Amino acid sequence: MDVNLQPIIDSWPFLAKALGTTLYVSVASMVLGFMIGVAVGVLRTYGGRVLYVLLGFYVDTMRAIPLLVVLVWTFFAFPLLIGRSIDAVTAGIAGLGIHLGAYVAETIRAGLTSVRRNQMQAALALGMSRFQAIRTIILPQALVRMLPALGSLLVIAIKDSAIASVIAVPELLRQTQIVAGKTFRPFELYTAAMLVYFLLCYPVARAVDRLYRRVAHLGSS
Amino acid sequence: MNFQWSIVWESLPRLLDGAWMTVWLTFATMTLAIPGGLVLALMRLSPVTLISASATAFVEFFRATPLILQIYWIYYVLPAYFDVQLSQLGTALAGLACNIAAFNSETFRSGIVSIRRGQWNAGLALGMAPARVFVSIILPQATMRVLPALASTWVSLFKDTSLVSIISVAELSYVSLQIRAETYRILEVLTAMAALYWLMGYPQAKLVDWVHRRFKVAE
Amino acid sequence: MNKADPILTFEAVHKRYGSVMALDGVNLSIRRGEVVCLIGPSGSGKSTLLRCANALDVLDSGRIVFEGNEVRSSEATVRHVRRRMGMVFQNFELFPHLTVLRNVTIGPTTVLGMRRAAAEGRAMALLSKVGLSEKAAVYPSALSGGQQQRVAIARALAMEPALMLFDEPTSALDPETIGEVLSVMKVLADEGMTMLVVTHEMDFARRVADHVAVFDKGRVIEEGSPKEVFENAMVPRTRDFLSHLGWHGETTIPTAASTREVS
Repeated sequence: MDVNLQPIIDSWPFLAKALGTTLYVSVASMVLGFMIGVAVGVLRTYGGRVLYVLLGFYVDTMRAIPLLVVLVWTFFAFPLLIGRSIDAVTAGIAGLGIHLGAYVAETIRAGLTSVRRNQMQAALALGMSRFQAIRTIILPQALVRMLPALGSLLVIAIKDSAIASVIAVPELLRQTQIVAGKTFRPFELYTAAMLVYFLLCYPVARAVDRLYRRVAHLGSS
Repeated sequence: MNFQWSIVWESLPRLLDGAWMTVWLTFATMTLAIPGGLVLALMRLSPVTLISASATAFVEFFRATPLILQIYWIYYVLPAYFDVQLSQLGTALAGLACNIAAFNSETFRSGIVSIRRGQWNAGLALGMAPARVFVSIILPQATMRVLPALASTWVSLFKDTSLVSIISVAELSYVSLQIRAETYRILEVLTAMAALYWLMGYPQAKLVDWVHRRFKVAE
Repeated sequence: MNKADPILTFEAVHKRYGSVMALDGVNLSIRRGEVVCLIGPSGSGKSTLLRCANALDVLDSGRIVFEGNEVRSSEATVRHVRRRMGMVFQNFELFPHLTVLRNVTIGPTTVLGMRRAAAEGRAMALLSKVGLSEKAAVYPSALSGGQQQRVAIARALAMEPALMLFDEPTSALDPETIGEVLSVMKVLADEGMTMLVVTHEMDFARRVADHVAVFDKGRVIEEGSPKEVFENAMVPRTRDFLSHLGWHGETTIPTAASTREVS
């Protein structure tokens, strides 16, 4: 078997740009998912019965439907409903973020309910409103406790961004396919892409572990 | 905008065939990935560094790279460079099973490690062989503890089977995308696909919640 | 307002948890500058009464009036009342993600809208008052139980409350750290702070309280000065309760609880 790294070297700028897109799409979808997840998690925990059920429907729907289906629907079907097209990157970030948001919401909710009830009472006893208590006392503790889980979700966001290749988002996997198709060197290209993903995901997973050990005591009331 | 939902009824037999393939893939993969995960977990707990390190490398690699890329890799690289010719279905099963086995091995490993050392000692003190202790004492307890994580992995797997559509395995996503391409009824067909996944996945998600409540370890 | 006016009154307060009558018609009033200790068996409703006072629990019937406002009459009153009452919990409930200093300043900055620098000045003064100014920068997990409870007292005082509620403040502490918390409480009492204290520390109640109320099964079965309650209990249940704790009036054989040094 002969290994030829020339295609990778030749397409280096093209692939580097694709890696940039992968990073952009992962981080943007994580940010979107985080915002959705915090809002949904807090509202499901403290928003009363109706919101619990309504938002629970969103969460369980996203847990039930594959990401590929969410992405394909958002990119191909949704524009027909609203009558205008969406570019692939926007659709990709939206689909990834909405899908991820459900998992963030469940994580946040688990974190919020794991903070002892008395912490809320202590905050209320100081005269805080429920909103102030959640924002300054309960949510920060929940986030610290859920740091490992949120870190895993970041790793998942990076890996899942590769699925956006099916709607032609020009991220790393998609552009690797293109180069592999043009040069007929799938082994080198796909292996290199695999290594890059590993180098992205593995350190993040490790870093989150280490970070958590440093701050664990901040979340233990 | 006019929609033609009748296309969904006309295509329903094909969609259901696809759904059946999705279910089949889920069961077949899990059937391979449970023993696979157990073997990997035991290898990782092995005192022989070579064995534990190679299992660790396998697990970390499959956990830290995208499944969709793993499927491509197996599909394009194995036949071209290693002269291993798998069918599309074989490729799909291999990719899914390796990936899920890696996740299962972490589940099993933490399940086994979570059983207190004293349980080993108690078994050994009764005169059991270590293998006997593992099978009769440790494994049953660990099984109860890993059920929630295993249930979550099950639903992930159910969803992940959609990724093998990229290598033309005729499961629900692939079939739906084919019908879409044939009929151009994009919204109708893709919505029907999402609805079918929802109908299958929603009860599973609820079941997972139940398993989590039922087998929650009190700590 | 006259110093002898009641600052807080409970009028026919009822509270039920399922089939349990936690408070069964409690009448009690606390005057400005007074230290009132609530004693009685566990589960007799003392803590529930405290939690109703600042509306952490909702009463079923009756009235609680604080500084002329009926607690629970509106959301705004509840917030106002909580701002004016400090509360110290059995398990401290310090905020683990905040430093000791921030624990003390967070009430003034978020609730009173105080500037951070001014709040920190006030907090440092209070921390040195409870003897913990050198711990300002650490997180609560680095403190002993007694130290955490002293920070919790400083946190409540930072709101400059008109009344302090203490819910079994020493019950979760190791015996060797109880004294440091009680002595801080004693200092507060001597300075004229109005305090409502649920406690099992009979010696503290006897020496510091102006008024003692004995709880049993959701009712105040006896109240009076410490001397009246501890030396001349009229109600047999009070005498039972006291003797269970090893309290036999002045002829008592000293026990760990009754001989603990307070100050």
